Amino acid sequence: MHEFLAQLANGVELGAIYALIALGYTLVYGILELINFAHGDVYTFGSFTALVVLVALRAANVLHGAGLILGIVAALVVAILACALLNAGIERLAYRRLRKAPRLAPLITAIGVSFMLENLIELWQGSAPVPFPNVIPNPELEIGALQIGVQQIVVVALAVVTMIALHYFVQRSRLGKAMRAVAQDRDAAALVGIDVDRTIAVTFLIAGALAGVAGFVGGVSFGSAWFLNGFGAGLRAFTAAVLGGIGNIAGAMLGGFLIGLLESFSTWFIGGQWSNVAVFSVLILVLVFRPSGLLGESLPEKV
Amino acid sequence: MSILDLVQVTKRFGALTAVSNVTVTVEEGAIFGIIGPNGAGKSTLFNLLTAIYRFDEGSIAIGGTSIAGLTTQRIAKLGVARTFQNLRLFGNASALANVMVGEHLLLRANVVDSLLDTARERRERAEAERRARELLRFVGIAGVDEQFARNLPYGTQRRLEIARALAARPRLLLLDEPAAGLNPSEKRDLLTLIRAIRDTGATVLLIEHDMGLVMNLCERIAVLDYGVKIAEGAPSEIREHPRVIEAYLGAPA
Amino acid sequence: MIYAYAFVAIAACVGIERFHDRRVKIAIALALAAFLAIAPRFYGNEAVFSVLADAAVYVMLALGLNIVVGFAGLLDLGYAAFFAIGAYTYGMLASPQFGLHLPFWVLLFLAAALAALFGALLGAPTLRLHGDYLAIVTLGFGEIVPQIFQNLTKYTGGPNGIAALDVPTFFGHSFGASVMPYYYIALVGIVFALWISRNLRESRLGRAWMAIREDELAAKHAGIDVLRSKLAAFAIGASFSGIGGVLFAAKLALVSPDLFGFQVSVLIVSMLVLGGMGNIVGVVVGSLLLTIVNSALLPQINSLVDSTFHTTVDLSNIHFLIYGAILVGIMLFRPEGLLPNKERRAELHHAGEPEAEA
Repeated sequence: MHEFLAQLANGVELGAIYALIALGYTLVYGILELINFAHGDVYTFGSFTALVVLVALRAANVLHGAGLILGIVAALVVAILACALLNAGIERLAYRRLRKAPRLAPLITAIGVSFMLENLIELWQGSAPVPFPNVIPNPELEIGALQIGVQQIVVVALAVVTMIALHYFVQRSRLGKAMRAVAQDRDAAALVGIDVDRTIAVTFLIAGALAGVAGFVGGVSFGSAWFLNGFGAGLRAFTAAVLGGIGNIAGAMLGGFLIGLLESFSTWFIGGQWSNVAVFSVLILVLVFRPSGLLGESLPEKV
Repeated sequence: MSILDLVQVTKRFGALTAVSNVTVTVEEGAIFGIIGPNGAGKSTLFNLLTAIYRFDEGSIAIGGTSIAGLTTQRIAKLGVARTFQNLRLFGNASALANVMVGEHLLLRANVVDSLLDTARERRERAEAERRARELLRFVGIAGVDEQFARNLPYGTQRRLEIARALAARPRLLLLDEPAAGLNPSEKRDLLTLIRAIRDTGATVLLIEHDMGLVMNLCERIAVLDYGVKIAEGAPSEIREHPRVIEAYLGAPA
Repeated sequence: MIYAYAFVAIAACVGIERFHDRRVKIAIALALAAFLAIAPRFYGNEAVFSVLADAAVYVMLALGLNIVVGFAGLLDLGYAAFFAIGAYTYGMLASPQFGLHLPFWVLLFLAAALAALFGALLGAPTLRLHGDYLAIVTLGFGEIVPQIFQNLTKYTGGPNGIAALDVPTFFGHSFGASVMPYYYIALVGIVFALWISRNLRESRLGRAWMAIREDELAAKHAGIDVLRSKLAAFAIGASFSGIGGVLFAAKLALVSPDLFGFQVSVLIVSMLVLGGMGNIVGVVVGSLLLTIVNSALLPQINSLVDSTFHTTVDLSNIHFLIYGAILVGIMLFRPEGLLPNKERRAELHHAGEPEAEA
């Protein structure tokens, strides 16, 4: 029972991170029908920017008392801004020219960008995992049979707050409505006066910002950052987005948590070395049997 | 003898009934027209005939064989070929290659023949190429053989698509608004071409907006409005039919 | 030395591409083949031919993937999985692992058949998927296969793989430690792969692939069995990779799961993109260029930099930066690749915007 609850908590924590990354895939796919393959690496970049800020602040010896909270917020904000700008920059430089190209062209470009980012991050931070500063105190709380770390609570809380904020942004704000309009029909949106280029840029900014939150949270949660983290995490998150129904925001969250739980329980039952196989088998099965995902709608082919 | 029998065919999209209880019989060797205002269900009907959509009720038989449950590919094997309202040519391939794809079902070469370039493969290819050039001449666009389909003028593309459809030697040829976007002289040529096609023994079923063309060309016409067949008959009968006039001109004056 | 060979091969390919006369093309091809067969007696050493043999294996892989991506238009991001299946076929059946020592020549065919079988097995349920969904499923498959080889330690040696693979023999003569037999076999393999590729492109099946790539719905209306045609592309493409895997494993005398990751799949896609997808000669040039850059040019620049500036830079660190830049640069500035066929280039540059895929 203890073990079960521990794995459950673990899965939810992992799931929160995957859900945040999955949202980035789903937002971009919803608007451009592009699998932004570089998104996972933007997440890695977020982890490292947060890490660098925290290491610098720790070296300056300001991480105590109110300084600790400010420092954590600073690291989070820097990661969010850096990732948002990076993601929007990628869109501007690598994807925008290819809007009208055959579908495979931007996907191949995205893979190219991903490889470049991974290599650049490796050149910057080395090829070994770098320990993430252990700044959030992590006493274990006991809630009934459940033992849970404060960090875990912070991670999940931060993720959930971010997702709620995103939900309100997309549903209520002018920009959010513009995003939905462009996602539905780009030409019609342009006709009613929506600036399509700007809306797409904003979408990439937001997706990047979410990857920044995920990068910070992931660094805290895994206790390290590694230049290839984004590849595996990105694929899992993409699987989550597909599982939930790509283009569907609630679906990405649901899918994220399900994939997190699948990974944590498959590790428990059949061993960590099989978790990749489990996750990708789910991906293949979902795509084959329900390509529209759990919450997505299937559309008939247009003629 | 009939080549196409639709009996009480219905197709719904959610709450919308796109085709409602339509019964039509097309005789072999006919030129049969389907007309109707926009949104009358004409294109949907064609898409039912080639299994892009599945009909919900009724039955459709081609040459006496029911097509319920058959795939698009199987229906092509029954001898049905079509063109599309918004051309669907293979744009990055030569005109010749486009027509040769149309001949797919006439060829017998299998994977092994294709891999090893066997005598059968070579012989069939040579024949297919010869027939394709002939067809391009037949539809009146000889000489564009090596050009990419997408680089051809619009009227030529329309003819190329007809050539591709004819390449399968269909018993039933479906033409989806073949005159759309053509100028008057091109339309006259089209009229001649469609008659020539019928004279080779194929049955032609066409959807068209151009009333002049349809009245001139078709021996029999069915009129759809809001998915319902409101009239069927010879052009002279259709021209006088009160419900047709109503559908086209709005409420009777 | 190695550049001399690569230069001659690439120049010959460009010549074949640019001359119109069929007889001239054939003459150039024969001259190139004769040169590559005879020149080793006079120029070069084992190290050079080791690189060239590897390059030749990659050319084979690229030609195989070209059938899937270039001909049938199916983006396969897990192609290295079939390479792994070929290599492990040799690794498990021609080594002390099970005490089986099946002959190299038999395993070439067996691996081709097994890879084709797995290609069909993966394809059967997934080929209904379109475009990037298929790409991601194949990527997933490409991740699963090496992982399975890694996890089934009892049969595959786990993370360490299988070493001390059999040295192949040819009518009783052992290949010994020389790389020359692999070089010649790979050359023959390329000739075979080129022949098959050309046959397919001109064939009924090749036209069916073209139709599917251009407009799947119109292809169905022409009576083409789309699923079967795609399966054929997957299986045939995979079989090339299986043969390449056996050659690769036998030459290295080693298989291990980390040799067949996603990077390998993307490397081969990069070769196609660089050379010009769908164009057989372009694909050969693309794969030659990338292999030479990888295994000869980068190390040499590296040692040049180090000896000039007395540094210890490691340029092998930027392989992925280079592949990535190639993919992005080509897609943005020369989407038809370095050596497309003339029509395709004309169409991409004069016909205005490329058409969006349906």
